[in-house]
Amino acid sequence: MSWLGGLFKRRRVYAELSEEIREHLQEKIEELLATGMSRKEAAAAARREFGNVALIEEDSREVWRWPSMEDLATDVRYGLRILPKRPTFTLTVVLTLAIGIGGNTAMFTLIRAVLLKPLEYRDPDRLVSLSLKDFHQNKRDGSFTLKRVDEMRASSKAFSAIGAFLKLPENISLSGRREPEALVGARVSANFLDILNVKPRLGRSFLEEEDAPGAPPVAMISGRLWRRVFQGDPQVVGKTATLNATPHIIIGVLPDNFAFPFVGTDIWMARPAEWSVIPPGARPHVTILNGFARLQPQVSLQQAQAELDVLNRQYVLANPDRLDAGPGVSIEVASLKDQFVANVRPTLWMLFGAVGFVLLIACANVAGLLLAQANSRLREFAVRAALGAAGDRLVRQLLVESLMLAVAGGSMGWLLAKYALYAVRHLTALQLPRVGEIRPDSMVLGYAVVLSIATGILFGLFPSLQVLRRDLTAELRESGAGAGGGSSARPRILGIHARGILVVGQISLSIVLLIGAMLLIKSFARLRSVDPGFHSANLLTMKITLPPARYDTGQKRNTFFGDLLERLASVPGVQNAAVALSLPTTKGWLGTNVSVEGQPVVDGAARFESITPGTFCSLGIPLRRGREFTARDNSPAALPVVIINESFAQRFWPAYPRGQDPVGQHLREGLDKTGWVEIVGIVADVHEEGLATDPVPEFYVPTVVHPPQTAYLVVRTQGDPELFVNAVRSQVLAIDQDQPVSDVRTMDEVLEATLGQRRLTTLLLGSFAAVALLLAVVGLYGVVAHSVAQRTQEVGIRRALGAQPGDILLLLLSQGLGLALAGTGIGLGAACALTRLMNNLLFHVSANDPATFVTIALLFMIVALLASVVPAWRALGADPMVALRYH
Amino acid sequence: MKNREQRDFFPGAWEMMILRTLKRQPPDGYALAQHMSGTSNDVLQIIEEGSLYPVLQRLLKEEVVKAEWSISSTHRTYQLTAKGAKHGEHEVSRFENMLEGITGVLAPGES
Repeated sequence: MSWLGGLFKRRRVYAELSEEIREHLQEKIEELLATGMSRKEAAAAARREFGNVALIEEDSREVWRWPSMEDLATDVRYGLRILPKRPTFTLTVVLTLAIGIGGNTAMFTLIRAVLLKPLEYRDPDRLVSLSLKDFHQNKRDGSFTLKRVDEMRASSKAFSAIGAFLKLPENISLSGRREPEALVGARVSANFLDILNVKPRLGRSFLEEEDAPGAPPVAMISGRLWRRVFQGDPQVVGKTATLNATPHIIIGVLPDNFAFPFVGTDIWMARPAEWSVIPPGARPHVTILNGFARLQPQVSLQQAQAELDVLNRQYVLANPDRLDAGPGVSIEVASLKDQFVANVRPTLWMLFGAVGFVLLIACANVAGLLLAQANSRLREFAVRAALGAAGDRLVRQLLVESLMLAVAGGSMGWLLAKYALYAVRHLTALQLPRVGEIRPDSMVLGYAVVLSIATGILFGLFPSLQVLRRDLTAELRESGAGAGGGSSARPRILGIHARGILVVGQISLSIVLLIGAMLLIKSFARLRSVDPGFHSANLLTMKITLPPARYDTGQKRNTFFGDLLERLASVPGVQNAAVALSLPTTKGWLGTNVSVEGQPVVDGAARFESITPGTFCSLGIPLRRGREFTARDNSPAALPVVIINESFAQRFWPAYPRGQDPVGQHLREGLDKTGWVEIVGIVADVHEEGLATDPVPEFYVPTVVHPPQTAYLVVRTQGDPELFVNAVRSQVLAIDQDQPVSDVRTMDEVLEATLGQRRLTTLLLGSFAAVALLLAVVGLYGVVAHSVAQRTQEVGIRRALGAQPGDILLLLLSQGLGLALAGTGIGLGAACALTRLMNNLLFHVSANDPATFVTIALLFMIVALLASVVPAWRALGADPMVALRYH
Repeated sequence: MKNREQRDFFPGAWEMMILRTLKRQPPDGYALAQHMSGTSNDVLQIIEEGSLYPVLQRLLKEEVVKAEWSISSTHRTYQLTAKGAKHGEHEVSRFENMLEGITGVLAPGES
């Protein structure tokens, strides 16, 4: 308001001014007329004597104008002139800021796109995920059986619709066009687009009846696939594509960037429970569906949760023997977005915090640099003050300069962020959900601009205040006369205390980052040293998805795998080969209820795995007891047998390895309810879900029992497995020339990929910490060097008076070490509180791991000592006579 | 910019003279210009009358003078404020001190 008022007032002032000048001229003219001039002459004379009316009016108005605008231009011009004269300083500052601002902008973009922005569907806050929580065993994922989804759908009132999708992406082969290729497919309930409120780009969505068993095969395709394979054909709807060897009618094309339920899905099919991995008879019994739903308007999450709690109790009572029922089972309703990003949220926030720290440290460093700079410019300021510059004018000049630096740093940071984000979008190791939504938009630009200005003010303020506090005229007087008696009490160095505080702050922040990074590195090292339970070296793996249409019976599938292994055995350099339903360290939960003969029924969920004979040998999984599967076990006529892992043995025979021998006992599994099968062997535990997840009870059956539709081929080779890719692939094609293979990787690569996100996180935090350390040490060095320079004369006197070099060194070091100690202490305290937040990112390392804390503190003190010794040593090395005459 | 330098003798000279003049009577801009050129033996006549106005505006803004439109005429008259009176005294005494010093220096050297 006052600003507006000022504007109106100014307008009135201007009007009055014009009026007044007109009156002045009028009066003059009349006076001249009285002397006998003609009116024309009088007017000309009056104007001549008055001067340039327009210019004078302009000058008069300028008095009222904001002085800042014009002064600002002057300051900017001055800055443009003076900054390039100090290229090292300017470049250092701009680069430091670019790293700080760029890192922050990039992380903010990620946080915003992935965590903050609502999902890009209509009314996204009404979308929820439904997941199963099993507090009893607390190790299962949140998936349902189809029956459970159907029952929720039938009886729930809180949701306008409930949908389901197959929890894992499915490999779907597309053949008949060019080379057969394996695509990422999703199985979703027919209503999935209705729930998300998304319209297909072309064609229609699934109809309700297409969810029923036996409905004609239809599929939707991604915009990407539509352009790539169908050349963007506008008539694609209604055409046929051969998917999994079955002709499917394409009913619709989804919009670009549509990434539900998985990033990179190219094919959507209805009937979510019809997963080719699971034999049809077993499908009702396995928990393979993830639920999602749209809340009714006016229904809150709590209300929906309450309703599901009731439904859950009824279901658990009615179906006690089902995998998704049990004493500890509950259903949890959560925002769909939160569920989507749950696995990356802690990582992203931690990294965001870390780049924030880096920026603060960078600001402190730049402030320190500016202080040093201001120090050497004291003469300049003093001269300007003597010439009439007011104190606030000097401060503004300094602020403008720091803002210019910040803007330059910010612009460079923006470019850095754009490149970083480009990299992030293409880094699959991050396993980032919503990756398609990551783009620096105007909001992010605004963030970068605000950040630059805020940092500019933040680090510009320190030197400005210091300058303001100084008696600049004293500076002028003194600079001619030298430092005088050597006992000059007033510190010549500007803001040494302020710089000390800055350095302590920097050190404590970088201590926190260093400890965080160290904890992650330690976790990573511990994770790497975990024995996965198999030998990953020299193993080639690939995925084979047999189309159900051509390989419709288990017999056909088993024959295919048998033939393939037989052929591979004769390939030179192949030591042995096997086929398994899934690869170790990459498995999701796939299991069933198990009971053991002669034991009371316990809640015995166990992981299920289907393998060919020789798998344990190929993977290098040690056999503990009994025997491996033989070729006989894998023939249709054989008696069914199973092999269990040690966790399984311990679950059901708690005394294992003592007590009753599990080998020779019988168990029954819920997948096919075939009856009692004999346990013939016990193998060592394998980290099936990744190195960070502990092994769970697991049992293996020969592929003849459950011949998989999609399976992994593992080939142990002599030498580099990469060299065998073509040889192995040609054996596959020799059996079936339409059969694609996919995911061709060595087992080492598979293992590394499971560590990818962790590795990247560790790497990022590690580099942030390294930058922080560097900046903090440079800051410390700067302060010590400056204060040592200040005391050069003092050192000279002390030495002339006979002080020992060691004493002087100690004197000079004490300041730097004091700062380092204070910073380290504060940093340790802060780290103690903050590392707890990253607890779930750590692996077998306590968030307050004492060894890490002590190591980092010691390391930092050593580095700090070095940073202080160098300038101190230099001061000592100087000739005392020169030092005495210093200045 | 050049204009302004031409108009000012030294910083604050105009202000001081205006304040001094206003101390005696509250004139309008025109009368002020006339008065100043009249009493200065026309030394100030070489300067444009109009250059008074930016100075007056500055004084207005600093609230050392105030201006009123007289009811009878269409003229705006200027008056010293209390702050202005004090400020003027201070400026004049400062100037006189300085002048004394300058005169001393400029006087034919006796020392």
